Amino acid sequence: MRTPRASLRSPGPAAAVLAAAAAFWLAGASPAVAQERFRRTPPLPDAQRLELRLPEVETFVLANGLTVAVARRPESRLVTLQLVIRAGVVDSPADRPGLADVTARLIGKGTKMLSSDYIENMIESIGGEFTAAVFMEYTVLTLTVVDENLDRALYILRLITLEAAFGERELGGVRRSLYWELRGRKKDPEVLGWGQLLAVLFENHPYHAAAYGEEAIKLIGARDVETFYNRFYRPANAAVIISGPVDAATMAQRIGNHFGAWSGPAAAWAPPAAPPQNVRDRLCYVEAAEAEAATVFAGNIVMGSSDPDFYPVLVLKQILGGTTMSRLFQNLREDKKYATYAFSEMEVFSSCGVYWARARVRPESLGPAIREIVGEIAALATGPAVPSEIEEAKSYLVGSLPLRFESPGGFADWLARYVALGLGPGQWDRGPEEIKRVDAERVRVAARRYLAAKPVVVVVGRPDWIAPLLDGFEAVEVYDASGQIKHTLRKGDGG
Amino acid sequence: MIEMNRKARILVLAALIALPRPAAADAQAADAVTSFPFAFQDYRLRNGLRVVLAEDARLPLVTVAVGYAAGSLREKQGQEGLAYLLENLMFQGSENVPPLQHITFVQKVGGELNAVTTPDKALFYETLPSNQLPLALWLESDRMKSLVITPAAIERTRQDIIDENRARSAADLYYATFAQLDMLLFPDPVYGHPLVGEGLAALTETDVQEFHRTFYVPNNAVLCIVGNIEAARTRELVARYFETIPPGPEIPPLPLASFRRENDAVVRFARIPDGNSGFHMGFRFAPLQPGDSECLRLLEYVLLEGETSRLRNRLLRRDLTARYLTGGLDERPGVAALKLFAFCTNAILVARAEKAILAEIDRLKTNAASAEELAKARRRFKKDYYDRLSTSMGKARFLVDAVIAGRDQEAIRRDLDRVLSVSPQNLSSFAAKYFVPQNRVVLEFGPK
Repeated sequence: MRTPRASLRSPGPAAAVLAAAAAFWLAGASPAVAQERFRRTPPLPDAQRLELRLPEVETFVLANGLTVAVARRPESRLVTLQLVIRAGVVDSPADRPGLADVTARLIGKGTKMLSSDYIENMIESIGGEFTAAVFMEYTVLTLTVVDENLDRALYILRLITLEAAFGERELGGVRRSLYWELRGRKKDPEVLGWGQLLAVLFENHPYHAAAYGEEAIKLIGARDVETFYNRFYRPANAAVIISGPVDAATMAQRIGNHFGAWSGPAAAWAPPAAPPQNVRDRLCYVEAAEAEAATVFAGNIVMGSSDPDFYPVLVLKQILGGTTMSRLFQNLREDKKYATYAFSEMEVFSSCGVYWARARVRPESLGPAIREIVGEIAALATGPAVPSEIEEAKSYLVGSLPLRFESPGGFADWLARYVALGLGPGQWDRGPEEIKRVDAERVRVAARRYLAAKPVVVVVGRPDWIAPLLDGFEAVEVYDASGQIKHTLRKGDGG
Repeated sequence: MIEMNRKARILVLAALIALPRPAAADAQAADAVTSFPFAFQDYRLRNGLRVVLAEDARLPLVTVAVGYAAGSLREKQGQEGLAYLLENLMFQGSENVPPLQHITFVQKVGGELNAVTTPDKALFYETLPSNQLPLALWLESDRMKSLVITPAAIERTRQDIIDENRARSAADLYYATFAQLDMLLFPDPVYGHPLVGEGLAALTETDVQEFHRTFYVPNNAVLCIVGNIEAARTRELVARYFETIPPGPEIPPLPLASFRRENDAVVRFARIPDGNSGFHMGFRFAPLQPGDSECLRLLEYVLLEGETSRLRNRLLRRDLTARYLTGGLDERPGVAALKLFAFCTNAILVARAEKAILAEIDRLKTNAASAEELAKARRRFKKDYYDRLSTSMGKARFLVDAVIAGRDQEAIRRDLDRVLSVSPQNLSSFAAKYFVPQNRVVLEFGPK
């Protein structure tokens, strides 16, 4: 951790002051003074109205179809410029998975006139930081600077995105770094488990493309990148987002100056229909020879980001495993001692989403732990959550929501998602009201709708931890770390 | 704001005189002068507790941070790990808060919390909805006033730490080398030992109680509250929960570092059979003089921040002698270090990369950094600075760090300006003074 300058001075007051203070206390204190009454119980919250007021997002569309969104944050000295492209991981062609990632990573690595090194120098000379992030359905290119460098930053963002060129040398570098990054990620059991869960839940669905491995990267050539870029990096398929101490009118003019001449047809895109939920027992085992503990994922398909069930399912996710107070953690770690942690999460896209439980489990407790995780999900589906649990989950969700918007980066991520997925105001700053409106009935209905189907279970662990699982499960599909199936073990077939 | 007393004014004047003097050309830089980005006030309770308040009404949040000057430098020889043990025991219950319920109370209302132990302090902080400020103060005051320390809690916590440390070692082949580097870089039994040391196993309940009685007291602590607060109401609450907590005895001074000085650079090798080749390189700066810290903070950016920084450009873009390079400053009371960590393809490239680093630093001694290079470092530093102070938690941690480091209000307010005022000549002088073999440590590692 970085700390400010340290000195040898201690933080306390002068010695004489301390001695006097101590004498004062010693003289006044009796040996067994009862504590003050107010210390015995937690205090009530202050009667302060908690109002989440996010800056309004002013949105307009230029003649070329480019969406511009401006969020004024006058208190910030940082400006975040984002170019959002409505194409993500799933838009890579089936025979070129990973193409969206490679394309995004090549932005800023050269233009027709400027080299990668020159561009890096330009960005760093204004103290800027440029990043590219590729999500399932969209890509975000972000340039963050101090406000005094905004004009230069706008020029650079326009230059590197609109005049991007894809040289073989830069492509080779990006392929290499992504290849090693993907290989390295395979050492992380959480990454392996999540990838396998996606691969199984989205079997025969376009979103299956998200589960690609490092070998796929080798196939990507400069022509692939150009084709992808020419198809998706188009004004009508993009949005420029600015958040910081700016005003919409000024920015409209500046964005028009920089991006108004950008042209090209819109890419036709519609989100694919949601895949069906998994309904049968599936236990997938990913072998990781050096795993220290077993990592368990259990999840299924849920609704998309704009669905009215979004907030009830969010509450359910919270009850199941949102914090250390939630059912999974209390059961698997605190009560049964099977796991070092157990939580649940949810990610939503345009037309569907995924919920999942994840736990790090002691190998000797693997079978019972899986049963408990699946049992906790089933229990929420069949037995209604108690009102106090629902209220606590809502309280947590309402209370923690503002934390996401505090930093410029957190705010910009939220804004990019909102613009990219075309979400309504209910997903901007009305989250607290929407959460408060969730009642027991909506939770019950959502639980039966989404949690009743059997979840897919994925385990990442050592090969010798598989055999005991066959005592409790009919079949175990065994995969290697690349997601390739090796074989299926069935109860009674002797392994 | 409270008025500065005469002594404080003298200190500020002394600090101003010691400031690195900006070169004429650099002083013209339009973005070199700035102002501190938020207001704060601080005062002290009768029991010695330092209180710092900063209002930030953007979001309905508040951060409460309590720092105790009770870091690992306070451990005696043989007690290595005691400070970290105490940090963990702070979650094991107090008179009115059962074990681990501190976490539950905060999470129930949607808050986030954490704690960290560094050489100079143990810091506890939570961010939660601003109407829950009384809850946070109740929780922090209860464990400040009446932490429950039992043999069972010590034993359980000790075992958790040992398990956690073992898991980290198993997960990271290079984990142990970071502690080895620290021992070489800070060759002093107090300053150089790791956070979780060998003394942990032998700690007694008496050790723990004594450490707690001495250092976890209001007169050795700072309470910082940042967020959507109203100052008068907050002062009332602070008084209610903290003013009746008795102070502890006078705080003993920090032990002074006494670094064993070698005649040449220290070079060691750590064998990691299944690992990659690479190295740590560290430079020690002690004793720090006024203005040195500012030079160092900018120097870190010149050398390491961004792909075009000197060392990253040379090793990763130009020579391709390293595959990975990272590093940063480690600031401890009275001493600081710049640490580098690199992976290379083989031992030959390790040697070349090390040589290149030394060449770049030597170049800094003889040829002052160019105006463009320095402007770039300043702009990036400024961006990161504002980013760090963009959240209530970031502000609170910054203020606690500054107060525990003994900096007054004026020094805090001029913090950014002081770094931005460092000139190329300041950097060259600094490099010439400190980047000498006697201050350098290299720890190479690899399969053979």
